[in-house]
Amino acid sequence: MSDIAIQAENISKLYRLGIIGSGSLRRDMQWWWQRNILNKENPNQYIRGGKKVDNSEVIWALKNVDFELKVGEALGIVGHNGAGKSTLLKILSRIVKPTEGIVRGRGSISSLLEVGTGFHSELTGRENIFISGHILGMKKTEISRKFDEIVDFAGVEAFIDTPVKRYSSGMYVRLAFAVAAHLEPDILIIDEVLAVGDAEFQKKCLGKMNEASSKSGRTIIFVSHNLQAVSNLCSNALWLDKGSVCARGNAKTVINQYLSTLQKQNWIKEFKTLTEAPGNDFIRVLYTELSPHFVDSFSVVDIRTPLTVKFRFYNALDGILLAVGVHLFTISGECIFDVSHDPLLYKKGIIEGECNIPGDFLNDGSYYISLIFVEDSSKQLYYYEECLSFEVADFRENINWYGKWMGYVRPKFPVITKQSEIHE
Amino acid sequence: MNNKTNGLGSSNWEWEIRPETSWRNISLVELYSYKDLLLQLTRKEFLGLYQQTLLGPFWALLQPLLTVLTYVVVFNKVIGIPTGGVPPFLFNLIGITLWNLFSEIFLQTSKTFTQNAAIFSKVYFPRIIVALSALWLQILLFGIQLLLLVAVYLFYFFTGQVDFNAGQGLLIFPIIAITAGIGFGGGLIFSVLTAKYRDLLSLIQVLIRLLMFMCPVFYTLSMVPQNFQWLVNINPLSALFEYFRFAFLDVGSINEIQLLYSIGFMVVIVFFGIMLFNKMSDKLIDIL
Repeated sequence: MSDIAIQAENISKLYRLGIIGSGSLRRDMQWWWQRNILNKENPNQYIRGGKKVDNSEVIWALKNVDFELKVGEALGIVGHNGAGKSTLLKILSRIVKPTEGIVRGRGSISSLLEVGTGFHSELTGRENIFISGHILGMKKTEISRKFDEIVDFAGVEAFIDTPVKRYSSGMYVRLAFAVAAHLEPDILIIDEVLAVGDAEFQKKCLGKMNEASSKSGRTIIFVSHNLQAVSNLCSNALWLDKGSVCARGNAKTVINQYLSTLQKQNWIKEFKTLTEAPGNDFIRVLYTELSPHFVDSFSVVDIRTPLTVKFRFYNALDGILLAVGVHLFTISGECIFDVSHDPLLYKKGIIEGECNIPGDFLNDGSYYISLIFVEDSSKQLYYYEECLSFEVADFRENINWYGKWMGYVRPKFPVITKQSEIHE
Repeated sequence: MNNKTNGLGSSNWEWEIRPETSWRNISLVELYSYKDLLLQLTRKEFLGLYQQTLLGPFWALLQPLLTVLTYVVVFNKVIGIPTGGVPPFLFNLIGITLWNLFSEIFLQTSKTFTQNAAIFSKVYFPRIIVALSALWLQILLFGIQLLLLVAVYLFYFFTGQVDFNAGQGLLIFPIIAITAGIGFGGGLIFSVLTAKYRDLLSLIQVLIRLLMFMCPVFYTLSMVPQNFQWLVNINPLSALFEYFRFAFLDVGSINEIQLLYSIGFMVVIVFFGIMLFNKMSDKLIDIL
């Protein structure tokens, strides 16, 4: 049976708004006087026009969070902004106390909640390596031993005796991360630090993390919005939503569950009557649907997923030559494609259609679709803008790089290479 | 792999995080393991203090010198406070050197939370390390000022204006320790208070000023009219200044009971300060 590194039981964190936040002695004393001596209500409760507003309003940043982490396990924490991820990390790092619950554990903990904690801008790179290292919990001998390695990792040899305030921001961040990357605690807590530096450096960082978890058997807790990185680096994941645990288990499963709730929106638009349907005197669009053909059991649209756009509309003009075009745009408004068909003769009535977007074609990102209805391939009858919007998640396998993949499309044209000459 | 598994399985934990910190939860072992950090922080503050300055650490000397000159002009030349035959420059320098020790330790320690909020909210280490490093730094700066004082003293000694008594001279070390202790304990208490109430930061300045006038820094206790002496005597710092001056100059009215009062006060305030600081330090992060 494996050892347990961290066990969290019923962790809750309450943040009070108002009372503690008053920050002024006069108001707190006035409050105390009114309440304890005069037995009155909190005077700060009456704020807007005599209407009673509860000043002791509270927020549960975390509510009854339980989990266990085995030694050597890498746990990824995902969730929306404000879901309580950072609060949980702060409790585990002993920065703040939980309001309720107990965390127990074994082994030393280091946490990286920001890059460059404890850096002093007036001091040189050399000084800062020592200061930051000590603040993060390293011993002097440990830092001296790894000093060259840290400088090398950051790539700042030439500037090591220059005050860090003269560093470029990239150099500063690299040096700061380099110190952190050489920590060797039993348990490492990392909050979104990979969002720094250029692609090259990010690759280095993730490589270092991978090394820490898979080779050195370190226990890791990792919060990131880069879901690809989480699912590749972590064996398990915890999904927090509004302070509670939504799901916990195998990283890929949890992340796909999380993604699918993020994605389910605007996939079907249906209108019952012609009058409420969008359109004009010629065209009324009754129904549009984006229907994905999922490649595995998770209902997540990722770059591999083929999509079908289905639509149904009412044509009010009898006997016209009509063509429907599908326009796909990125969220920033660039058109990816504009496809249509040869005009066909239609009678007045309901017309159905669909358009297949193959898998392994779109890159990850947010997209929207517009429909255009054209008579005689020249006269626009109706343009239905942004009728469907959807997101495509990333998917990578066996790739040790998690930066943003470039390009609007990501087709699988093979690049073929072969060795044509061998130089011994 | 970690081979710490024992027969009891999961019941043997190395650490725990609970909602409350107990009053007596100070782990000296943990504190000792952070000794490198303590020295490094002191070093950082010292280096940071004098980066890109013209005079560097000489500021530590210039500041008391300028203060002393002002005091000599204002208190001795203009107002005419007598110094009992002691050269006014030496008289004031003795008082101000010790006063700087107290006021700087008190002021810098009381800023522990307000000035380190950014670090405290991102990484854990025993918070008292920062307060201790402020204490070390001020003792270090005091050491520089003490050298100046000794140099000035020797000048007056060799020109025959003061006498030297080795036995009394050794008194300065316990006096320095008690003064530093009161400053540190008071600073710890105020660091907790100012973390919660920022408006108290300005009060500290006033408090230090007030204490200075209630303390025989630029006068001696014997100059104070009999019916006002209690005002000076209730200040636990007063006896320390009388003794400090006595150690150098063999003048002033020293009183063992007053000294015991100072020592007792120091012990109480240091213990209370450390306990309060330790108890509150985790909670304060939420409101910093």
